[in-house]
Amino acid sequence: MDIPILKIEDFLVVTIQSELSDDEIYELQEDILSRIKDVGATGLIIDITALDIVDSFMGRTLSNIAATAELLGAKSVVVGIRPAVAVTLVELGIRVKWNVNTALNLERGIRLLKRLIEAERRGGAS
Amino acid sequence: MRESGLLAKMSDAETEKRYTALYNAVVSTFSTGKFDDVERYAKEITEGVVLRDTSVERIIGGILKLRDIYERFIFSEYRDDEEMLYQLLASYEPVANNILTIVTMAFVEAREQVIREQQKAMMSLSTPVLQIRDEILVLPLIGTIDSERAEQILEELLKRIVELTASVVIIDLTGVPVIDSLVANHMIKTVQAAKMLGADTIITGISPVNAQTLAGLGVDLSMLITKNNLRAGLWHAEKMLGFKVIRERETE
Amino acid sequence: MNITSSADIIAARGKGRELAMKMGFSVVDQTKITTAISELTRNIVTYAGKGEVIIKKAESETGGKNGIVVVCRDEGPGIEDIQLVLKSGFSTSESLGLGLSGAKQLMDEFEIKSKPGKGTIVTIKKWLRRR
Repeated sequence: MDIPILKIEDFLVVTIQSELSDDEIYELQEDILSRIKDVGATGLIIDITALDIVDSFMGRTLSNIAATAELLGAKSVVVGIRPAVAVTLVELGIRVKWNVNTALNLERGIRLLKRLIEAERRGGAS
Repeated sequence: MRESGLLAKMSDAETEKRYTALYNAVVSTFSTGKFDDVERYAKEITEGVVLRDTSVERIIGGILKLRDIYERFIFSEYRDDEEMLYQLLASYEPVANNILTIVTMAFVEAREQVIREQQKAMMSLSTPVLQIRDEILVLPLIGTIDSERAEQILEELLKRIVELTASVVIIDLTGVPVIDSLVANHMIKTVQAAKMLGADTIITGISPVNAQTLAGLGVDLSMLITKNNLRAGLWHAEKMLGFKVIRERETE
Repeated sequence: MNITSSADIIAARGKGRELAMKMGFSVVDQTKITTAISELTRNIVTYAGKGEVIIKKAESETGGKNGIVVVCRDEGPGIEDIQLVLKSGFSTSESLGLGLSGAKQLMDEFEIKSKPGKGTIVTIKKWLRRR
């Protein structure tokens, strides 16, 4: 399954277009992380608008991707969480360990990425 | 026959039909020993018809009259046979009383149904989600919120956040005197779900009682933004979004 | 239906969503049900290797309610201390516990029977809400 990873400015945008099997999810994770490294991306957006189910496994995966991306120097934002999915994720208690930035859509996601990167740059001036 | 004739004289055509139905139901009860017909009768007259107090009064009055008529009849027929009289009365009275109870309770239930529906309608009045700035929504909650209502509020709010691409939601609890811990839990979930849609939530107007309920939940409240009142909440929301409101000129 | 691989998880979810939609559950409830199915079937694949799941309409004893019931059965290692696993944050079987407690949170009724060495049966139900 070929999932398009687009580059916008210094950011990578990954749009998940359908339900993914566990293998596909692992593959995607590796693809994203190696791309971040290759391109030196400072930001990552994962668009899950097309997903109508996000179970705890997918939730953890997204969290892992975000954490690893951070280590590679990129901030991440997940966009396009559907209301029904948001309610379910909250009920699942994902909130407890879910340190993933979220935004409504691509536009807001990019806005947030820029803010996060700017904030870090300012905060890191020591 | 005489009885139904007596009753017919005191009512208009519609109620006469009902009295006949009542009479038939009562007769069938006494002859079959089963209350099915009475229950069916009661159901029929309470469903679909707006019962005015006068017709309720007439029907109950009618049942009581019937009861008295029968009782007097039993007395007059069996006044010489004391034992038979007592036996008859003993078996008659509970049946007659039950008939009355069934019909009365049907009326009561019908009234309560109306009250329930009105309560439901009232609750659905309490939560419009209002947009007061481009990216700011306000949700003024009013009255008592139960678990089911809280769920509806959550779903409605999320829907509006998406529709109006809101970044900040202000939930005002000034009009909600008491929330139980179940509903408080729902509030927290609402805040978290909104966050997933990229919207921050500010809660305003929390009464001291509700503040205690929230604190007592044992949930991490550090991500909750709270302000004393809606005005402070709006000011904070504007600040978060980088708005600054300046007064251009003094009003007269 | 049988569960042996992650593709089956997706298939089970599809079946669940289909039935839930047909029965008239709200979108949010459909998502909760489907996600709960995902959690449980994933547990089967991860911890038992294989098992089966049954998704169908639920009978209510009082006869008044309509609902959906999902039964997940496997002959895997079984769970020794159910209560412990259900408490989220239990470290060694984290995803198992999260999956089970997650499914419990999302549904109206949750029942689990498990014996070490014998396997596990999880039954979950959700009822249609009157609107």
